[in-house]
Amino acid sequence: MPAALDEIIAELSESDRQERIDLLIDFAKNLPPLPEHLAKLKDASHRVEECQSPVYLFAEIVGDRVALYADAPIEAPTVRGFVSLLIEGLSGATVADVLKVPGDLVERCALQEVLGMLRVRGLSGVLRRIKGEVTRAAMAQAENLSLPEQKRFSNQPAAEE
Amino acid sequence: MGKPYAHPESLVSADWVQEHLKDPKVRIVESDEDLLLYDVGHVPGAVRVDWQGDLQDQIIRDYINSEKFSELCSRNGIVSDTTVVFYGDKSNWWACYAFWAFTLFGHKHCKVMNGGRKLWIDQGRPLSTEPSRYPATRYVAAGGDEASIRVFREEVLAHAKAGKPLIDVRSPKEFTGELLHMEEYPQEGSLRGGHIPGARNVPWARAVNEDGTFKSTEELIAIYQDELGLKPADDIVAYCRIGERSSLTWFVLTYLLGFSHVRNYDGSWTEWGNLVRAPIARGA
Repeated sequence: MPAALDEIIAELSESDRQERIDLLIDFAKNLPPLPEHLAKLKDASHRVEECQSPVYLFAEIVGDRVALYADAPIEAPTVRGFVSLLIEGLSGATVADVLKVPGDLVERCALQEVLGMLRVRGLSGVLRRIKGEVTRAAMAQAENLSLPEQKRFSNQPAAEE
Repeated sequence: MGKPYAHPESLVSADWVQEHLKDPKVRIVESDEDLLLYDVGHVPGAVRVDWQGDLQDQIIRDYINSEKFSELCSRNGIVSDTTVVFYGDKSNWWACYAFWAFTLFGHKHCKVMNGGRKLWIDQGRPLSTEPSRYPATRYVAAGGDEASIRVFREEVLAHAKAGKPLIDVRSPKEFTGELLHMEEYPQEGSLRGGHIPGARNVPWARAVNEDGTFKSTEELIAIYQDELGLKPADDIVAYCRIGERSSLTWFVLTYLLGFSHVRNYDGSWTEWGNLVRAPIARGA
Protein backbone atom coordinates (compact mmCIF):
# COMPACT_ATOMS: atom_id res chain seq x y z
CA MET A 1 0.00 0.00 0.00
CA PRO A 2 1.44 3.41 -0.91
CA ALA A 3 2.40 5.31 2.24
CA ALA A 4 0.29 8.35 1.31
CA LEU A 5 -2.84 6.21 1.02
CA ASP A 6 -1.99 4.35 4.18
CA GLU A 7 -1.88 7.63 6.07
CA ILE A 8 -5.24 8.71 4.70
CA ILE A 9 -6.83 5.40 5.66
CA ALA A 10 -5.41 5.65 9.16
CA GLU A 11 -6.71 9.19 9.59
CA LEU A 12 -10.19 8.32 8.34
CA SER A 13 -10.56 5.12 10.28
CA GLU A 14 -9.51 6.80 13.53
CA SER A 15 -11.95 9.68 13.10
CA ASP A 16 -15.52 9.87 14.25
CA ARG A 17 -18.39 10.19 11.83
CA GLN A 18 -18.46 14.00 11.63
CA GLU A 19 -14.67 14.19 11.28
CA ARG A 20 -14.86 11.70 8.42
CA ILE A 21 -17.47 13.83 6.73
CA ASP A 22 -15.28 16.92 7.21
CA LEU A 23 -12.25 15.11 5.80
CA LEU A 24 -14.19 13.96 2.76
CA ILE A 25 -15.46 17.49 2.20
CA ASP A 26 -11.87 18.78 2.34
CA PHE A 27 -10.83 16.19 -0.21
CA ALA A 28 -13.78 17.12 -2.39
CA LYS A 29 -12.79 20.79 -2.28
CA ASN A 30 -9.16 20.05 -3.04
CA LEU A 31 -9.52 17.87 -6.13
CA PRO A 32 -7.22 19.54 -8.69
CA PRO A 33 -8.80 20.41 -12.04
CA LEU A 34 -7.99 18.20 -15.02
CA PRO A 35 -4.96 19.24 -17.05
CA GLU A 36 -6.01 20.86 -20.31
CA HIS A 37 -5.06 17.94 -22.59
CA LEU A 38 -7.30 15.61 -20.56
CA ALA A 39 -10.22 17.97 -20.09
CA LYS A 40 -10.91 17.50 -23.80
CA LEU A 41 -11.15 13.73 -23.35
CA LYS A 42 -14.09 13.66 -20.97
CA ASP A 43 -16.13 11.09 -22.86
CA ALA A 44 -17.94 7.85 -22.19
CA SER A 45 -14.77 5.81 -22.49
CA HIS A 46 -13.23 7.57 -19.49
CA ARG A 47 -16.35 7.65 -17.39
CA VAL A 48 -16.75 5.41 -14.35
CA GLU A 49 -19.87 3.46 -15.18
CA GLU A 50 -20.64 2.41 -11.62
CA CYS A 51 -21.05 6.01 -10.52
CA GLN A 52 -24.35 7.70 -11.00
CA SER A 53 -22.68 11.10 -11.26
CA PRO A 54 -20.31 11.86 -14.11
CA VAL A 55 -16.87 10.83 -12.87
CA TYR A 56 -13.93 10.72 -15.29
CA LEU A 57 -10.59 9.10 -14.60
CA PHE A 58 -7.27 9.24 -16.39
CA ALA A 59 -3.99 7.49 -15.66
CA GLU A 60 -0.57 8.27 -17.07
CA ILE A 61 2.76 6.68 -16.33
CA VAL A 62 5.70 8.99 -15.94
CA GLY A 63 8.89 6.99 -15.69
CA ASP A 64 7.94 4.26 -13.25
CA ARG A 65 5.37 6.31 -11.40
CA VAL A 66 1.63 6.66 -11.78
CA ALA A 67 0.00 10.03 -12.34
CA LEU A 68 -3.77 10.11 -11.83
CA TYR A 69 -6.28 12.76 -12.82
CA ALA A 70 -9.99 12.88 -12.28
CA ASP A 71 -13.05 15.02 -12.59
CA ALA A 72 -16.25 14.73 -10.55
CA PRO A 73 -18.94 17.33 -9.91
CA ILE A 74 -19.00 19.23 -6.63
CA GLU A 75 -22.76 18.53 -6.58
CA ALA A 76 -21.74 14.93 -5.83
CA PRO A 77 -19.42 15.71 -2.92
CA THR A 78 -19.13 12.19 -1.54
CA VAL A 79 -17.91 10.63 -4.74
CA ARG A 80 -15.77 13.66 -5.54
CA GLY A 81 -14.20 13.44 -2.09
CA PHE A 82 -13.44 9.74 -2.49
CA VAL A 83 -12.00 10.24 -5.96
CA SER A 84 -9.84 13.06 -4.65
CA LEU A 85 -8.67 10.88 -1.76
CA LEU A 86 -7.58 8.19 -4.21
CA ILE A 87 -5.81 10.67 -6.48
CA GLU A 88 -3.90 12.06 -3.53
CA GLY A 89 -3.18 8.66 -2.03
CA LEU A 90 -2.08 6.99 -5.25
CA SER A 91 -0.40 9.65 -7.37
CA GLY A 92 3.32 8.99 -7.48
CA ALA A 93 2.91 5.33 -6.52
CA THR A 94 4.31 2.53 -8.65
CA VAL A 95 2.02 0.52 -10.91
CA ALA A 96 2.50 -2.54 -8.69
CA ASP A 97 1.49 -0.56 -5.60
CA VAL A 98 -1.69 0.71 -7.22
CA LEU A 99 -2.68 -2.77 -8.30
CA LYS A 100 -2.12 -4.06 -4.79
CA VAL A 101 -4.56 -1.64 -3.14
CA PRO A 102 -7.14 -3.85 -1.40
CA GLY A 103 -10.60 -3.94 -2.95
CA ASP A 104 -12.26 -3.24 0.39
CA LEU A 105 -10.71 0.22 0.62
CA VAL A 106 -14.09 1.86 1.27
CA GLU A 107 -14.57 -0.29 4.36
CA ARG A 108 -10.97 0.24 5.48
CA CYS A 109 -11.57 3.98 5.42
CA ALA A 110 -14.69 3.30 7.51
CA LEU A 111 -16.73 5.18 4.96
CA GLN A 112 -19.60 2.74 4.58
CA GLU A 113 -21.63 4.33 7.36
CA VAL A 114 -21.22 7.76 5.82
CA LEU A 115 -22.08 6.45 2.40
CA GLY A 116 -24.75 3.97 3.15
CA MET A 117 -24.68 0.46 1.76
CA LEU A 118 -26.18 1.56 -1.51
CA ARG A 119 -23.26 3.65 -2.58
CA VAL A 120 -20.29 1.53 -1.60
CA ARG A 121 -20.36 -0.24 -4.93
CA GLY A 122 -20.08 2.98 -6.91
CA LEU A 123 -16.97 3.95 -5.01
CA SER A 124 -15.46 0.50 -5.27
CA GLY A 125 -15.99 0.95 -8.99
CA VAL A 126 -13.76 4.03 -8.90
CA LEU A 127 -10.89 1.99 -7.48
CA ARG A 128 -11.41 -0.81 -10.01
CA ARG A 129 -11.44 1.76 -12.76
CA ILE A 130 -8.19 3.30 -11.54
CA LYS A 131 -6.54 -0.13 -11.55
CA GLY A 132 -7.82 -0.77 -15.07
CA GLU A 133 -6.59 2.58 -16.35
CA VAL A 134 -3.21 2.13 -14.70
CA THR A 135 -2.84 -1.34 -16.20
CA ARG A 136 -3.66 0.00 -19.63
CA ALA A 137 -1.28 2.92 -19.30
CA ALA A 138 1.47 0.55 -18.15
CA MET A 139 0.87 -1.77 -21.10
CA ALA A 140 0.88 1.12 -23.53
CA GLN A 141 4.15 2.30 -22.04
CA ALA A 142 5.67 -1.17 -22.36
CA GLU A 143 4.61 -1.39 -26.01
CA ASN A 144 5.83 2.08 -26.63
CA LEU A 145 9.27 1.31 -25.23
CA SER A 146 9.61 -1.74 -27.45
CA LEU A 147 9.10 0.35 -30.60
CA PRO A 148 11.92 2.12 -32.44
CA GLU A 149 12.54 5.61 -31.10
CA GLN A 150 10.79 7.55 -33.90
CA LYS A 151 7.56 5.55 -33.58
CA ARG A 152 7.13 6.03 -29.87
CA PHE A 153 3.95 7.67 -28.72
CA SER A 154 3.94 10.54 -26.39
CA ASN A 155 3.02 9.94 -22.78
CA GLN A 156 -0.73 10.01 -23.29
CA PRO A 157 -3.31 7.84 -21.61
CA ALA A 158 -4.08 4.64 -23.41
CA ALA A 159 -6.37 5.32 -26.33
CA GLU A 160 -9.72 3.60 -26.22
CA GLU A 161 -10.21 0.88 -28.78
CA MET B 1 -53.72 31.84 -10.50
CA GLY B 2 -54.77 28.23 -10.94
CA LYS B 3 -56.63 25.99 -8.60
CA PRO B 4 -54.97 25.88 -5.17
CA TYR B 5 -53.52 22.67 -3.81
CA ALA B 6 -55.74 20.68 -1.47
CA HIS B 7 -53.50 21.44 1.52
CA PRO B 8 -51.61 24.55 0.44
CA GLU B 9 -50.08 24.98 3.91
CA SER B 10 -47.98 21.86 3.33
CA LEU B 11 -45.88 23.48 0.65
CA VAL B 12 -43.88 26.66 1.12
CA SER B 13 -41.83 28.71 -1.30
CA ALA B 14 -38.15 29.54 -1.03
CA ASP B 15 -39.27 33.12 -0.32
CA TRP B 16 -41.29 31.94 2.66
CA VAL B 17 -38.30 30.01 3.98
CA GLN B 18 -36.00 32.98 3.52
CA GLU B 19 -38.43 35.12 5.52
CA HIS B 20 -38.55 32.52 8.31
CA LEU B 21 -34.85 31.75 8.64
CA LYS B 22 -34.76 33.21 12.13
CA ASP B 23 -38.26 32.17 13.17
CA PRO B 24 -37.85 30.15 16.38
CA LYS B 25 -41.05 28.24 15.63
CA VAL B 26 -39.61 26.99 12.35
CA ARG B 27 -36.86 24.44 11.84
CA ILE B 28 -35.49 23.96 8.34
CA VAL B 29 -34.29 20.42 7.62
CA GLU B 30 -32.10 19.40 4.71
CA SER B 31 -32.34 15.78 3.61
CA ASP B 32 -30.28 14.63 0.64
CA GLU B 33 -29.22 11.50 -1.11
CA ASP B 34 -25.61 12.65 -0.82
CA LEU B 35 -25.06 13.33 2.85
CA LEU B 36 -22.16 15.69 2.21
CA LEU B 37 -24.20 18.21 0.23
CA TYR B 38 -25.23 19.78 3.52
CA ASP B 39 -21.56 20.47 4.26
CA VAL B 40 -21.01 21.96 0.83
CA GLY B 41 -23.63 24.56 1.69
CA HIS B 42 -27.12 24.63 3.18
CA VAL B 43 -29.91 27.06 3.91
CA PRO B 44 -28.61 29.15 6.84
CA GLY B 45 -29.86 27.67 10.07
CA ALA B 46 -30.94 24.39 8.49
CA VAL B 47 -30.10 21.12 10.22
CA ARG B 48 -29.30 17.86 8.47
CA VAL B 49 -31.43 14.77 8.75
CA ASP B 50 -29.75 11.81 7.13
CA TRP B 51 -32.35 9.47 5.64
CA GLN B 52 -30.13 6.51 6.39
CA GLY B 53 -28.03 7.35 9.42
CA ASP B 54 -30.74 9.25 11.29
CA LEU B 55 -34.06 7.78 10.19
CA GLN B 56 -33.30 4.12 9.66
CA ASP B 57 -32.49 1.49 12.22
CA GLN B 58 -28.91 0.39 11.65
CA ILE B 59 -29.55 -3.31 12.26
CA ILE B 60 -33.08 -4.18 11.19
CA ARG B 61 -34.54 -2.92 7.94
CA ASP B 62 -36.96 -0.51 9.53
CA TYR B 63 -37.20 3.04 10.77
CA ILE B 64 -35.82 4.07 14.11
CA ASN B 65 -38.08 3.68 17.14
CA SER B 66 -39.92 6.55 18.78
CA GLU B 67 -37.23 7.05 21.47
CA LYS B 68 -34.60 7.53 18.77
CA PHE B 69 -36.93 9.82 16.89
CA SER B 70 -37.45 11.87 20.04
CA GLU B 71 -33.67 12.11 20.46
CA LEU B 72 -33.27 13.19 16.84
CA CYS B 73 -35.81 15.98 17.30
CA SER B 74 -34.41 16.97 20.70
CA ARG B 75 -30.86 17.40 19.46
CA ASN B 76 -32.07 19.47 16.53
CA GLY B 77 -34.02 21.80 18.77
CA ILE B 78 -37.43 20.65 17.61
CA VAL B 79 -40.47 20.68 19.90
CA SER B 80 -43.87 19.20 19.17
CA ASP B 81 -45.29 22.41 17.74
CA THR B 82 -42.21 23.34 15.69
CA THR B 83 -43.00 23.73 12.03
CA VAL B 84 -40.47 21.53 10.27
CA VAL B 85 -39.73 22.49 6.68
CA PHE B 86 -38.00 19.84 4.58
CA TYR B 87 -35.96 20.41 1.48
CA GLY B 88 -33.28 18.50 -0.35
CA ASP B 89 -31.72 17.31 -3.59
CA LYS B 90 -33.34 15.30 -6.38
CA SER B 91 -36.50 17.42 -6.55
CA ASN B 92 -37.13 16.79 -2.86
CA TRP B 93 -37.25 12.96 -2.88
CA TRP B 94 -35.46 12.74 0.42
CA ALA B 95 -37.28 15.74 1.80
CA CYS B 96 -40.57 13.94 1.14
CA TYR B 97 -39.10 10.76 2.57
CA ALA B 98 -38.15 12.59 5.78
CA PHE B 99 -41.56 14.31 5.82
CA TRP B 100 -43.19 10.88 5.55
CA ALA B 101 -40.98 9.48 8.34
CA PHE B 102 -41.75 12.47 10.61
CA THR B 103 -45.42 11.83 9.93
CA LEU B 104 -44.92 8.16 10.89
CA PHE B 105 -43.84 9.34 14.33
CA GLY B 106 -46.71 11.76 14.61
CA HIS B 107 -45.01 15.12 14.07
CA LYS B 108 -47.92 17.32 13.05
CA HIS B 109 -46.41 20.40 11.48
CA CYS B 110 -44.45 19.42 8.40
CA LYS B 111 -43.93 21.30 5.19
CA VAL B 112 -41.88 20.90 2.02
CA MET B 113 -39.95 23.76 0.44
CA ASN B 114 -40.98 23.86 -3.19
CA GLY B 115 -38.07 23.42 -5.61
CA GLY B 116 -35.75 22.02 -2.96
CA ARG B 117 -32.04 22.57 -2.72
CA LYS B 118 -31.42 23.16 -6.39
CA LEU B 119 -33.90 25.98 -6.85
CA TRP B 120 -32.64 27.69 -3.68
CA ILE B 121 -29.11 27.64 -5.07
CA ASP B 122 -30.14 28.50 -8.63
CA GLN B 123 -31.91 31.59 -7.31
CA GLY B 124 -28.70 32.70 -5.64
CA ARG B 125 -30.10 32.58 -2.13
CA PRO B 126 -27.79 32.55 0.90
CA LEU B 127 -25.93 29.40 1.88
CA SER B 128 -23.99 28.48 4.97
CA THR B 129 -21.33 25.85 5.52
CA GLU B 130 -21.50 26.13 9.31
CA PRO B 131 -23.40 23.28 10.95
CA SER B 132 -26.44 24.74 12.73
CA ARG B 133 -26.77 23.99 16.42
CA TYR B 134 -29.74 24.55 18.68
CA PRO B 135 -30.26 24.04 22.38
CA ALA B 136 -31.57 20.55 23.01
CA THR B 137 -35.28 20.22 23.67
CA ARG B 138 -37.33 17.57 25.41
CA TYR B 139 -39.24 16.10 22.53
CA VAL B 140 -41.63 13.25 23.11
CA ALA B 141 -42.83 11.53 19.94
CA ALA B 142 -46.60 11.71 19.76
CA GLY B 143 -46.83 8.42 17.93
CA GLY B 144 -48.28 8.52 14.47
CA ASP B 145 -50.85 6.51 12.71
CA GLU B 146 -48.47 4.19 10.89
CA ALA B 147 -51.25 2.08 9.46
CA SER B 148 -52.67 5.02 7.54
CA ILE B 149 -49.49 5.88 5.60
CA ARG B 150 -47.35 2.74 5.59
CA VAL B 151 -48.08 -0.69 4.18
CA PHE B 152 -46.30 -4.03 4.43
CA ARG B 153 -45.89 -6.85 1.92
CA GLU B 154 -48.77 -9.10 3.00
CA GLU B 155 -51.21 -6.23 2.71
CA VAL B 156 -49.73 -5.25 -0.64
CA LEU B 157 -50.29 -8.77 -1.91
CA ALA B 158 -53.92 -8.69 -0.75
CA HIS B 159 -54.27 -5.19 -2.22
CA ALA B 160 -52.95 -6.37 -5.59
CA LYS B 161 -55.15 -9.48 -5.57
CA ALA B 162 -58.19 -7.34 -4.81
CA GLY B 163 -57.34 -5.22 -7.85
CA LYS B 164 -57.07 -2.01 -5.84
CA PRO B 165 -55.01 0.88 -7.22
CA LEU B 166 -51.31 0.21 -7.03
CA ILE B 167 -48.88 2.67 -8.50
CA ASP B 168 -45.28 2.00 -9.34
CA VAL B 169 -43.42 5.30 -9.53
CA ARG B 170 -40.11 3.94 -10.84
CA SER B 171 -38.70 4.64 -14.27
CA PRO B 172 -40.31 2.75 -17.19
CA LYS B 173 -37.35 0.38 -17.59
CA GLU B 174 -37.48 -0.62 -13.94
CA PHE B 175 -41.20 -1.21 -14.31
CA THR B 176 -40.81 -3.50 -17.31
CA GLY B 177 -38.04 -5.43 -15.61
CA GLU B 178 -35.31 -4.39 -18.02
CA LEU B 179 -33.43 -2.67 -15.18
CA LEU B 180 -33.26 -3.25 -11.44
CA HIS B 181 -32.55 0.38 -10.63
CA MET B 182 -32.69 3.72 -12.39
CA GLU B 183 -30.40 4.14 -15.33
CA GLU B 184 -26.86 4.99 -14.28
CA TYR B 185 -27.38 3.71 -10.74
CA PRO B 186 -25.77 0.45 -9.65
CA GLN B 187 -28.08 -2.38 -10.71
CA GLU B 188 -28.23 -4.08 -7.38
CA GLY B 189 -30.50 -4.80 -4.48
CA SER B 190 -33.07 -6.99 -6.20
CA LEU B 191 -32.78 -10.47 -7.65
CA ARG B 192 -35.73 -10.18 -10.00
CA GLY B 193 -36.96 -7.37 -12.22
CA GLY B 194 -40.50 -6.37 -13.09
CA HIS B 195 -43.44 -4.98 -11.16
CA ILE B 196 -46.21 -6.04 -8.82
CA PRO B 197 -49.04 -7.46 -10.97
CA GLY B 198 -51.73 -4.88 -11.54
CA ALA B 199 -49.49 -1.89 -10.81
CA ARG B 200 -49.65 1.12 -13.10
CA ASN B 201 -46.43 2.90 -13.94
CA VAL B 202 -46.41 6.65 -13.20
CA PRO B 203 -42.81 7.75 -12.82
CA TRP B 204 -42.49 10.13 -9.85
CA ALA B 205 -40.86 12.79 -12.01
CA ARG B 206 -44.10 13.46 -13.83
CA ALA B 207 -45.25 15.37 -10.76
CA VAL B 208 -42.43 17.90 -10.88
CA ASN B 209 -41.27 20.64 -13.19
CA GLU B 210 -37.77 21.04 -14.61
CA ASP B 211 -36.83 23.39 -11.76
CA GLY B 212 -37.85 20.85 -9.13
CA THR B 213 -41.10 22.59 -8.15
CA PHE B 214 -44.34 20.65 -8.14
CA LYS B 215 -46.69 20.85 -11.08
CA SER B 216 -49.93 22.79 -10.77
CA THR B 217 -53.11 21.27 -9.39
CA GLU B 218 -54.61 21.10 -12.89
CA GLU B 219 -51.56 19.32 -14.28
CA LEU B 220 -51.53 16.86 -11.39
CA ILE B 221 -55.24 16.15 -11.75
CA ALA B 222 -54.68 15.50 -15.46
CA ILE B 223 -52.06 12.86 -14.64
CA TYR B 224 -53.41 11.11 -11.59
CA GLN B 225 -57.15 11.52 -11.94
CA ASP B 226 -57.89 11.92 -15.64
CA GLU B 227 -55.18 9.70 -17.06
CA LEU B 228 -54.89 7.06 -14.34
CA GLY B 229 -58.45 7.26 -13.17
CA LEU B 230 -57.55 7.51 -9.49
CA LYS B 231 -60.18 9.02 -7.21
CA PRO B 232 -59.50 11.07 -4.08
CA ALA B 233 -61.17 8.50 -1.82
CA ASP B 234 -59.41 5.46 -3.35
CA ASP B 235 -57.30 3.14 -1.24
CA ILE B 236 -53.95 3.60 -3.02
CA VAL B 237 -50.56 1.98 -2.52
CA ALA B 238 -47.45 3.58 -4.01
CA TYR B 239 -44.02 1.97 -4.23
CA CYS B 240 -40.67 2.37 -5.92
CA ARG B 241 -37.35 0.73 -5.07
CA ILE B 242 -36.83 1.61 -1.43
CA GLY B 243 -39.76 3.93 -0.80
CA GLU B 244 -38.08 7.29 -1.34
CA ARG B 245 -39.47 8.23 -4.75
CA SER B 246 -42.89 6.93 -3.72
CA SER B 247 -42.76 9.25 -0.68
CA LEU B 248 -42.78 12.10 -3.16
CA THR B 249 -45.80 10.65 -4.94
CA TRP B 250 -47.45 10.03 -1.55
CA PHE B 251 -46.90 13.72 -0.72
CA VAL B 252 -48.32 14.84 -4.05
CA LEU B 253 -51.44 12.71 -3.81
CA THR B 254 -52.09 13.35 -0.13
CA TYR B 255 -51.23 17.02 0.30
CA LEU B 256 -51.40 18.55 -3.14
CA LEU B 257 -54.40 16.64 -4.47
CA GLY B 258 -56.06 15.84 -1.14
CA PHE B 259 -56.36 12.08 -1.53
CA SER B 260 -57.42 10.58 1.75
CA HIS B 261 -55.97 7.09 1.76
CA VAL B 262 -52.54 6.79 0.18
CA ARG B 263 -50.00 4.47 1.71
CA ASN B 264 -46.33 4.07 0.92
CA TYR B 265 -44.94 0.55 0.57
CA ASP B 266 -41.41 1.29 1.77
CA GLY B 267 -40.29 -2.33 1.33
CA SER B 268 -40.82 -1.56 -2.35
CA TRP B 269 -38.99 -3.38 -5.11
CA THR B 270 -35.93 -4.24 -3.03
CA GLU B 271 -38.27 -6.35 -0.92
CA TRP B 272 -40.74 -7.58 -3.53
CA GLY B 273 -38.09 -8.42 -6.14
CA ASN B 274 -36.38 -10.68 -3.61
CA LEU B 275 -39.41 -12.43 -2.11
CA VAL B 276 -39.71 -16.12 -2.84
CA ARG B 277 -42.85 -16.83 -4.87
CA ALA B 278 -44.04 -13.24 -4.89
CA PRO B 279 -45.96 -12.73 -8.12
CA ILE B 280 -44.18 -10.54 -10.65
CA ALA B 281 -45.31 -9.10 -13.96
CA ARG B 282 -42.88 -8.18 -16.69
CA GLY B 283 -43.07 -5.82 -19.61
CA ALA B 284 -45.16 -2.71 -20.08
